[in-house]
Amino acid sequence: MPTKNVVDERISKFKNKGKDPAKLREKRISECVELRKAHKNESFLKRRNLTLSSLPDEEALSPDYISNAMVTFLPVEDIIKDVNSDCKEYQTRGCQAARKLLSQERNPPLKEIIDAGLLSRFVSFLSMDDEPILQFEAAWALTNIASGTSWHTQQVVEHGAVPAFIALLASPMLHISEQAVWALGNIAGDGAAYRDILIECNVVPALLARISPDTPVGYLRNLTWTLSNLCRNKNPFPPLSAVQQVLPSLIQLLHLGDKDILSDSCWAISYLSDGDNDRIDVVVKTGIVSRLVELMSHEELSVATPALRSIGNIVSGSDLQTQVAIDAGVLKVLPQLMRHPKASVQKEAAWALSNIAAGPCRQIQQLITCGLLPPLVEQLRNGDFKTQREAVWAVTNFTSGGTVEQVVNLVQSGALEGIINLLQVKDAKVILVIMEAINNIFLAAEKLGETEKLSLLIEELGGLDRIEMLQNHDNDTVYQAAHALIKKYFGDGEEVVGVKADSTDDGLVFISSDVHETFDF
Amino acid sequence: MELNDANLQSLTEFLRKTLDPDPTVRRPAEKFLESVEGNLNYPLLLLTLLEKSQDTVIRVCAAVTFKNYIKRNWRIVEDEPNKVSDPDRTAIKANIINLMLSSPEQIQKQLSDAISIIGREDFPQKWPDLLTEMVTRFRSGDFHIINGVLRTAHSLFKRYRHEFKSNELWTEIKLVLDTFALPLTELFKATIELCQTHATDVNALKVLFSSLTLISKLFYSLNFQDLPEFFEDNMETWMTNFHGLLTLDNKLLQTADEEEAGLLELLKSQICDNAALYAQKYDEEFQPYLPRFVTAIWNLLVSTGQEVKYDLLVSNAIQFLASVCERPHYKHLFEDQNTLTSICEKVIVPNMEFRSADEEAFEDNSEEYIRRDLEGSDIDTRRRAACDLVRGLCKFFEGPVTAIFSGYVNSMLGEYAKNPGENWKHKDAAIYLVTSLASKAQTQKHGITQANELVNLNEFFVNHILSDLKSPNVNEFPVLKADAIKYVMIFRSQLPKEQLLQAVPLLISHLQAQSTVEHTYSAHALERLFTMRGPNNTTLITPAEMAPFTEQLLNNLFKALALPGSAENEYIMKAIMRSFSLLQESIVPYVPTLIGQLTHKLLLVSKNPSKPHFNHYLFESLCLCVRITCKANPPTVSSFEEALFPVFTEILQSDVQEFLPYVFQVMSLLLEIHSNSIPSSYMALFPHLLQPALWERTGNIPPLVRLLQAYLEKGGASIAGSAADKIPGLLGVFQKLIASKANDHQGFYLLNSIIEHMPPESIIQYRKQIFILLFQRLQSSKTTKFIKSFLVFINLYGVKYGAIALQEIFDSIQPKMFGMVLEKIIIPEVQKVSGPVEKKICAVGITKVLTECPPMMDTEYTKLWTPLLQALIGLFELPEDDSIPDDEHFIDIEDTPGYQTAFSQLAFAGRKEHDPIGDSVGNPKILLAQSLYKLSTACPGRVPSMLSTSLNAEALQYLQGYLQAATVQLV
Repeated sequence: MPTKNVVDERISKFKNKGKDPAKLREKRISECVELRKAHKNESFLKRRNLTLSSLPDEEALSPDYISNAMVTFLPVEDIIKDVNSDCKEYQTRGCQAARKLLSQERNPPLKEIIDAGLLSRFVSFLSMDDEPILQFEAAWALTNIASGTSWHTQQVVEHGAVPAFIALLASPMLHISEQAVWALGNIAGDGAAYRDILIECNVVPALLARISPDTPVGYLRNLTWTLSNLCRNKNPFPPLSAVQQVLPSLIQLLHLGDKDILSDSCWAISYLSDGDNDRIDVVVKTGIVSRLVELMSHEELSVATPALRSIGNIVSGSDLQTQVAIDAGVLKVLPQLMRHPKASVQKEAAWALSNIAAGPCRQIQQLITCGLLPPLVEQLRNGDFKTQREAVWAVTNFTSGGTVEQVVNLVQSGALEGIINLLQVKDAKVILVIMEAINNIFLAAEKLGETEKLSLLIEELGGLDRIEMLQNHDNDTVYQAAHALIKKYFGDGEEVVGVKADSTDDGLVFISSDVHETFDF
Repeated sequence: MELNDANLQSLTEFLRKTLDPDPTVRRPAEKFLESVEGNLNYPLLLLTLLEKSQDTVIRVCAAVTFKNYIKRNWRIVEDEPNKVSDPDRTAIKANIINLMLSSPEQIQKQLSDAISIIGREDFPQKWPDLLTEMVTRFRSGDFHIINGVLRTAHSLFKRYRHEFKSNELWTEIKLVLDTFALPLTELFKATIELCQTHATDVNALKVLFSSLTLISKLFYSLNFQDLPEFFEDNMETWMTNFHGLLTLDNKLLQTADEEEAGLLELLKSQICDNAALYAQKYDEEFQPYLPRFVTAIWNLLVSTGQEVKYDLLVSNAIQFLASVCERPHYKHLFEDQNTLTSICEKVIVPNMEFRSADEEAFEDNSEEYIRRDLEGSDIDTRRRAACDLVRGLCKFFEGPVTAIFSGYVNSMLGEYAKNPGENWKHKDAAIYLVTSLASKAQTQKHGITQANELVNLNEFFVNHILSDLKSPNVNEFPVLKADAIKYVMIFRSQLPKEQLLQAVPLLISHLQAQSTVEHTYSAHALERLFTMRGPNNTTLITPAEMAPFTEQLLNNLFKALALPGSAENEYIMKAIMRSFSLLQESIVPYVPTLIGQLTHKLLLVSKNPSKPHFNHYLFESLCLCVRITCKANPPTVSSFEEALFPVFTEILQSDVQEFLPYVFQVMSLLLEIHSNSIPSSYMALFPHLLQPALWERTGNIPPLVRLLQAYLEKGGASIAGSAADKIPGLLGVFQKLIASKANDHQGFYLLNSIIEHMPPESIIQYRKQIFILLFQRLQSSKTTKFIKSFLVFINLYGVKYGAIALQEIFDSIQPKMFGMVLEKIIIPEVQKVSGPVEKKICAVGITKVLTECPPMMDTEYTKLWTPLLQALIGLFELPEDDSIPDDEHFIDIEDTPGYQTAFSQLAFAGRKEHDPIGDSVGNPKILLAQSLYKLSTACPGRVPSMLSTSLNAEALQYLQGYLQAATVQLV
């Protein structure tokens, strides 16, 4: 490695002056279409059969409350009759029977109840403040229906349940208010459209008004989950004004100790940061980044996962935003996450690393200093495929932005061997990205005058064989890239080379030109 | 075109004519069909014919014609007319599935292809019901129909295996999964059940097994991009059944054919691929199933025979094991000693054996054998797969595996020793095993570079390899001889030098072996040994060490070229080249004979050049003879000219296009040896080199330019004297070249040589025209490459004729032109000039303009003086500006110009870098300082004041550094 003396250093400052590399950061946000099962460790979109934390569990408090087990089973026809009757007692009995039916584990008859036209009755019961039991039972039944498919949720909304539930939030009966929180969470979880309808109906202030030092933990858990659903979904994102309203409370919640609250508030942050740099900025400006970094090493996977996702989103942002995460110590936490026993955590960590590696060389230097290269190479070598893919991206980004010294460091850590072994994976994109990294490493070698040495090293590692094989790949871009690499760096040196030319000419006579044109370049 | 009988009849007639062997009948019919294919109903007429014609030949012909029609016309290209009318499109899509499924196989195949072409364009958006229509056929119960559907689906879905992930692609796959995955799974289960109920009906089984193979292929395509939710949920069904099929054997399906893979083999091979896909990409989900597959595949390998028909299956199966055994969490599946022994004994060793098919190739198809064995094109062979498995196992179990194999190697060598004549193949396998076990890293240039330390390569060489090399009868056991030679070749970097020296004469004697593989390997091994580097960067084997063998080496190499099958053997010719290069002056005594043999060979191959590599090394060898001999004794160049010119003349006269670029290079080499005069033999050729036809061929341009440069360098004056009438033709070449974006730099090479070497008075009358041509090109198409060359040229002109001359010629073409060139070209672009010589020329030229051109000091050009100085300091200090405008990226990327012709086909014909300024200017920065000093003394006070008012501070600092270094001070 040539050591720079002072003069060189000075020149290099001068050198960089006129040159702005304007390197494009390879931003890598997950695409929308998925073939896989939805992530198992992500939070639920909708929930049914939760046990309310604030249920008055002593019958003394509410002598009329009848738990699920005690409700008598009624056939649907009877339920319809009861609910449609004018007698409060029957109505209550019908509602109870309906919510019991709707709570059953397997195939609750959501559609039958809707088709029977009971929704408008349920919604009308919601506003009967003087009949708390009926109000509660109707809310419960509607919650269960809203937890079904989009179509089911749509029926609930179209029957006017939204304003009624929002009004119920203010109910003095905690369990009724909590039931409304839950129902609204289900509606918000359906998608961006209903989420925004809720926001327009001012759900946010109504929810936040329920947060106080005295709010019971169980209630807060539900509320946090509903808030997270209000932050969820892209295309479009939730309106910025609503986000600004929610954030201060989320930040508060993130400082509590309860793992469920932490998990859902981290998920909320992860949704809010999963967007362009402006969205990320809103989150970063709250000053929450260092708390998130802290939570990345939380013992509960359900907390660590969304915290890691949030930080991953943040480092996919601008260099400045990434620097905030680095300053908060993300690079000190990542090595242990890269070696986490769960493959899904390794993958997310590698993804975050790949985005940090896309930064300027001083951030790359911090990445090296914090010891990220060894776990990166371990993942290239032995990680599962999803992690290997992220690790490959990290290497390519590193090689495109790193200094020559940094690239040499990377190669010496074993990354070159790692990516070469992966040239046989069954994924055209990964192969292409690897060849790009190899090309970048060659560019560094050129600056050191060690191209030939690198060619030999790659051949020794079995890379030449693999690249040659890729010239038979069905993907044309892959074939072209392999061909270009071979031609550029693995030629014999004595091979016959052709030269291109065109033939835009008339003859070889030296023509004196009399054309009087004025030259102006 | 109406859809009626008359048209059907006439179409039938034309189709029949397209099958006629007589081109005068066939071509007009083809033309006619092409001329009417744009008409409405044309494709429907074809479909009608392929369905209803009484004549099977016409039906097939209509099907093929239809497929080709679809291929040419279906795609709608933006801004081009739609070539298939919309009603026809609709009708085709409505009928083609039914038609395909009800047609006999020959026609079904064509229609299936057509469907996938249409599908590629229209599916899914414009053909939404395609899949549902196909899926409903699964229920038909008719496996002829079902296989048709499966085949079509396969051709539609197989692109999922190689395309990049995109939202569009995944949306399509999602849609396919939604409609197709469940019915496919149901079909899979039903087909397997049918296999059991029809277990004794061979015809039924054949159809069912082709269905299973197609289903397995579809599984691969649908699971390639990512693990779909559906298949994750149904993994149990698929994997259990795949596993069952892997372990299944049915005597009825075994084929007698030894070469062609049967249905069972094809199916199992695909299942191995499917398992490998899951193991590689969906490890977490597949883990519970993997051990079962390892066992099944291993058992499969143990029970599969040596026949060629099993090759694909066996190599896929071994590759699966190889990829699994090096993953840390599956280590435990292999680490048991019995397992390891069994894999080594029953899987690896049998697949390393030399089979009769290999023996046939060794004897009858040596080129193919060499390509596989030496050049590594053995990707799908069993031996390669077995080697990969050895390497995979060595990752965790190097010690135990080496120990197991050592036992095997010894017992195989023991078998051989008992009866070499009978058991020589055992030794072959032993050597192969040692090789694959020992080699951990390998390059063409150095052979094996990292070896397994547990294998004693030198001991094996001494005990088992040397004996074969020493055997007096080179034609006995040629396979073992080839093995031994290859051993030396690939382990050359591991063996001690004295062993290599011992091997050299033995290799030389093997050059005489009758076996093509054997003598080719010898030549190749020698060639590789001669390229090895020793201490001090010299060759490892020195000419002195070669002295005792030199004569025999040269003799045997040329004798080998006379062996049957090796008349144009590129390995031998390369070895000849390498021997010359190693031996250097030791070959001089033999050169008269050698040059005779080489020119004789050249004459022969020039009749019909067919082996480009052979020919290339032949010319390289010629160049070496010339260089080596003339280095010590330049006047001998004339004897080479005597020997070579007759053949060259022959080549030029018969216009052997492949050889012309070589001939021009050798001639340049010869001419450059002459000291400052041109022999008349060359002058006679000069007019011919200017012939337009030669310049039309792109491959000629670089070597011809170089040759003309040699003419100019050696005889600028004689051309001006005796061939002055050829100067316009020479400039015509320049004009042709600069008109081309690809070749303009070559034109500048020529122009620079003209400026440098022609007497000024001989070109004075053309100078203005030259500049006008350059300006015209600059005006019409200003590329970066052109500007770089232009800058070098005008500065060279300034150096040669003076800065005033440069300014005057510009301003004589158009008033204030000099200022415009400075402002718009030189100052902004000089940073782009690349190459040390080129930069030096520009630096000296600009220094002259700054300090020796009065108009720069006292006209309106003065305002450009400081910017020009700033640009010059930038040229010295800033990194090269290698940016290229976007629209230029596609012009001749590989053609980067240097001041010297970048084209150097023949390594040994290369010329030294030429620096027209030379040592007269050692350090251009010092020259600048001194020249500025001189200027400042001429007009005291002005230079410092210009510097202090407008030169950028950093540049000023650099400049002060130069002044200090030159120990001058501006006044």
